[in-house]
Amino acid sequence: MSGKNNRDRAKAKRVVQEQLAKERRRRITLWTSLGVVALLIIVGLVGWGVAAGQESDKTAGLTTPSVAVDDGTAFAVGTGPVKVDIYEDFMCPVCGEFETGAATTIDQLVAANKVTVQYHPIAILDRASSTEYSTRSAAASAAAAQGGKFAEYHRVLFANQPAEGSAGLDNAKLIELGKSVGLTDAAFSDAVNGGTYKAWATKVTDTAASRGVNSTPTVLVGGKALEDRSAQGLTAAVEAAGA
Amino acid sequence: METGQSARMTTGWVWISTAARLGLAVVWLVAGGLKVGDLAESGRAVNAYEIFPYEVAKVIGAAQPFLEIALGLLLLAGLAVRLSAGISAVLLVVFIAGIISAWTRGLQIDCGCFSSGGTLGAGESPQYTWDIVRDTGFLLLAGLLLWRPRTRYSIDGVLMGEV
Repeated sequence: MSGKNNRDRAKAKRVVQEQLAKERRRRITLWTSLGVVALLIIVGLVGWGVAAGQESDKTAGLTTPSVAVDDGTAFAVGTGPVKVDIYEDFMCPVCGEFETGAATTIDQLVAANKVTVQYHPIAILDRASSTEYSTRSAAASAAAAQGGKFAEYHRVLFANQPAEGSAGLDNAKLIELGKSVGLTDAAFSDAVNGGTYKAWATKVTDTAASRGVNSTPTVLVGGKALEDRSAQGLTAAVEAAGA
Repeated sequence: METGQSARMTTGWVWISTAARLGLAVVWLVAGGLKVGDLAESGRAVNAYEIFPYEVAKVIGAAQPFLEIALGLLLLAGLAVRLSAGISAVLLVVFIAGIISAWTRGLQIDCGCFSSGGTLGAGESPQYTWDIVRDTGFLLLAGLLLWRPRTRYSIDGVLMGEV
């Protein structure tokens, strides 16, 4: 009789303990889950904050070149009726190929007063060099534009394009290339050395992304994306847009 | 009472789950780590999917690497494994859906899974099949952890008094 009572009591005790343990596990799961969800939300907000901070750092002291067109994000070459927008990164090999293949045609179209080319020097390949060459070269091209030599400087930059994964061209070389196209004044070299237009390069890149330009080169003829970027393709698209 | 065999089975699953947990942790840490250095680039990678307006894409691109790293650390530590695995699974399903969506719309993009992504240049082809197979593999790891979240060397184990 008493033996059975003891067994029952022991069993009841075990059931209660199991329930308490279960309750405890449930509570731990609940609180760790809430903690983890809160943590993830905070971490996401931190990411947002960090990105916003980086963006305002990178665009602090924004100097927009006075000669820039299209909301201050591009440099125009030519005055023809058909608008050609070219988004390029001076680090991008495919842009170099496009320039090699289409430069003569672009010159002819400009000379024949058929097109206005708007060059948007964007910087999306900063990772491809150890010195953020994309941003520095885009900024240097803005200084060249300010000196009235964008087209010439733009061409000489592509002619001297550094390899992806290299250090890129240093400022001394950027200035030397400027001299070779007639940018001999101190305003140009000071702007390159001082990184005057680097914030502008970041802003142009951001504006391009907001327009859905996610790669370089992106060429728009009369606002329409050019699929065939060969010289013939460009000529045909300009003809079609001008007709 | 567990029989000897089922106890061995359970022990086996614990080790398999432990490996899955650490594997998934490494996946998230690497994925987040490769993107956290350039958040603007990460935003452009999201923008390249052409699903969200750029301002929204920027916020997603900024938050995502941090979330990935946080999930990686949670899994590494073994804290709230089932929940972390569940969130991982949801994210992976979203990523796979995004890749399929880009694929069906004929976009030529790098998925930006383990890089900063963006549109591909001429002559580069997307690796959508491989991207989806790989993400599905990660989804299986997450699914296994959802099903059997008990693992060795985890904070969960310590909290539950299993060690």
